[in-house]
Amino acid sequence: MPFRLRSRTLALCFGLGLVLSGVIAHPARAQKIEIDITKPGFQRIPIAVPDFKFQTAEQPQLAREMGELLSADLDFSGLFMPLDPRGFLEDPQSMGVTAGEIRFPDWKRLGADFLVRASYQAQGASLRMEARLFDVVAGRMVVGKVYEGEVRNWRPMVHRLADEIIMAVTGERGVFDTKIAYVQVQGRVKEIYVADFDGNNPVPVTRDQSLALSPAWSSDGSQLAYVSYKEGNAKVYVANLHTGGHRLVAGFPGINIAPAWRPGTNQLAVTLSKGGNPDIYLVSASGELMQRLVQSWAINVSPTWSPDGRRLAYVSNEAGNPQIYVMDVSGGQKRRITFSGNYNTSPSWSPKGDWIAYSGMVGGRHNIFMVRADGGEVRQLTHGEGDNESPTWSPDGRMLAFSSTRQGGAALWVMLSNGTGLRRITRGGGQEMPEWSPRMGGR
Amino acid sequence: MNVWLDRTVRVLLMVILAAGMAACAKKKVSPQAGVGPAGYGPGDMGGLGAGGALGADDARWRELGLNTEAERQEFLNQAQRFENEDIYFDYDSYVLTEPAKRILDDKLRFLKRYPKVRVTVEGHCDERGTNEYNLALGERRANAAMQYLANAGMSTQNLNAVSYGEERPIATGHDEASYARNRRAHFVLNN
Repeated sequence: MPFRLRSRTLALCFGLGLVLSGVIAHPARAQKIEIDITKPGFQRIPIAVPDFKFQTAEQPQLAREMGELLSADLDFSGLFMPLDPRGFLEDPQSMGVTAGEIRFPDWKRLGADFLVRASYQAQGASLRMEARLFDVVAGRMVVGKVYEGEVRNWRPMVHRLADEIIMAVTGERGVFDTKIAYVQVQGRVKEIYVADFDGNNPVPVTRDQSLALSPAWSSDGSQLAYVSYKEGNAKVYVANLHTGGHRLVAGFPGINIAPAWRPGTNQLAVTLSKGGNPDIYLVSASGELMQRLVQSWAINVSPTWSPDGRRLAYVSNEAGNPQIYVMDVSGGQKRRITFSGNYNTSPSWSPKGDWIAYSGMVGGRHNIFMVRADGGEVRQLTHGEGDNESPTWSPDGRMLAFSSTRQGGAALWVMLSNGTGLRRITRGGGQEMPEWSPRMGGR
Repeated sequence: MNVWLDRTVRVLLMVILAAGMAACAKKKVSPQAGVGPAGYGPGDMGGLGAGGALGADDARWRELGLNTEAERQEFLNQAQRFENEDIYFDYDSYVLTEPAKRILDDKLRFLKRYPKVRVTVEGHCDERGTNEYNLALGERRANAAMQYLANAGMSTQNLNAVSYGEERPIATGHDEASYARNRRAHFVLNN
């Protein structure tokens, strides 16, 4: 679906303008593959992405840049293995773009299962891109799309194409239009930033020169809750990313921390110590206190909702040290789900509902784990390279972003949910507490 | 040398008291203000800006009930010590240790002697935990200290707890010695 971001703030924020897309032709349905990239034996699908073909003399450098970005996206997904373009036989600027012009046997010999062939016309500020995904083995087109927009929005345009390709092959859209909110450390100041899923285009959401922590996305991606000390102690605020407005939603005596939007609603779980003990409450996004969800004599923090909004995972130290619990919100029954180690925190419920990722301390180091929501099975995903904290799922549940000190100062990293395919997405250090957005515009 | 230092500290203290008053009127309070090894130490000079009216703040002294120069000097000396001495905690614990209780007894004497002071008790943690859990743990540490004072008969009306979790370490090393210094409650005088 084409969508338009109306406000200037958001357009500035996200560097997105209008990107329209259309279908070139009714292609043959791709055979949907049941793909579970977390299975140990999963083989990435080899795909060829030659440089795009420029059809005007303008912006010729985009030919390579767009091809490289598309390759990077496809590689990022963990589904594809882009082939090295140095092995390609044809000059991308003279090679054809339609099925009749593609030499499928050549691509097959190179080992490609799929081929993306795209061309573009840049005229002044406007950009038109045509792209086709070919099934090399079957020798036919799977997806054909036309995108129109502004030259400066070539990145979102390529991300959109990458989403379509993932959609065609898996039946589920990719996450290349998503964002990651995080905390940027600047000396003694911490601000909330939002960047593209790959760490590009970082934009500040807060500019308070204070301490801002714990960003949390609303289900439609239009609002970001966070904690700030800008008024003295820790309170929960919500930033409206469309208007750029910020409002207080929980500023009770004591600490007001750890916001988590209940999926599909305008309510947030937060930890408040207004009653003397840090317990988890439900508040409305307009700041109304609705109910106490978790109450004990212990520390209760870091709520994360099941995708259906019926259960809550959180951290409690009622057993003497921090462990992860799951509570049924309507019935109130709670159940501890982590038993190994004595410091398990930062739970993040997967968008498919089956797993809860968390950070657990092993030998003095934080590592990323995931546990079945019923506590049934635990997998360790990182293994003691620096401290690895604050896991957060991509909206398709295939990837996890987290912060890691494995290369010195804290930076954001992304890995596949089987622990492979690690890549660092932020530079310069000082990034922590990532929170992956939902798909934008509820797509 | 010591005499010079003493004098410097006193002058700084007066400047800071004055500046602190002015800062109260500001709408936005950044968390840096008043945080650090000692709010009354020279290190905070830069942030508050020198050159304002010096500590001829009779209203403040009257509020504290300190009328003579000697009383004020003594207060300043004791205030510095009050703010400079933190209490320390074990890892993932908010239980008051025996040394911490002795320091709190000391603070109790100060608070009883100067019942008009307003105090912020800051709870801090080392960096090893996770931010949100540490915010709750830091509050527990601050509350444990306040509770101790309350149990000893102090009114908590003039006491206020703030948790900074692991966000405001005093020691920036990544070793047990630094961690131990960061697991603390810190006391700041607000008047």
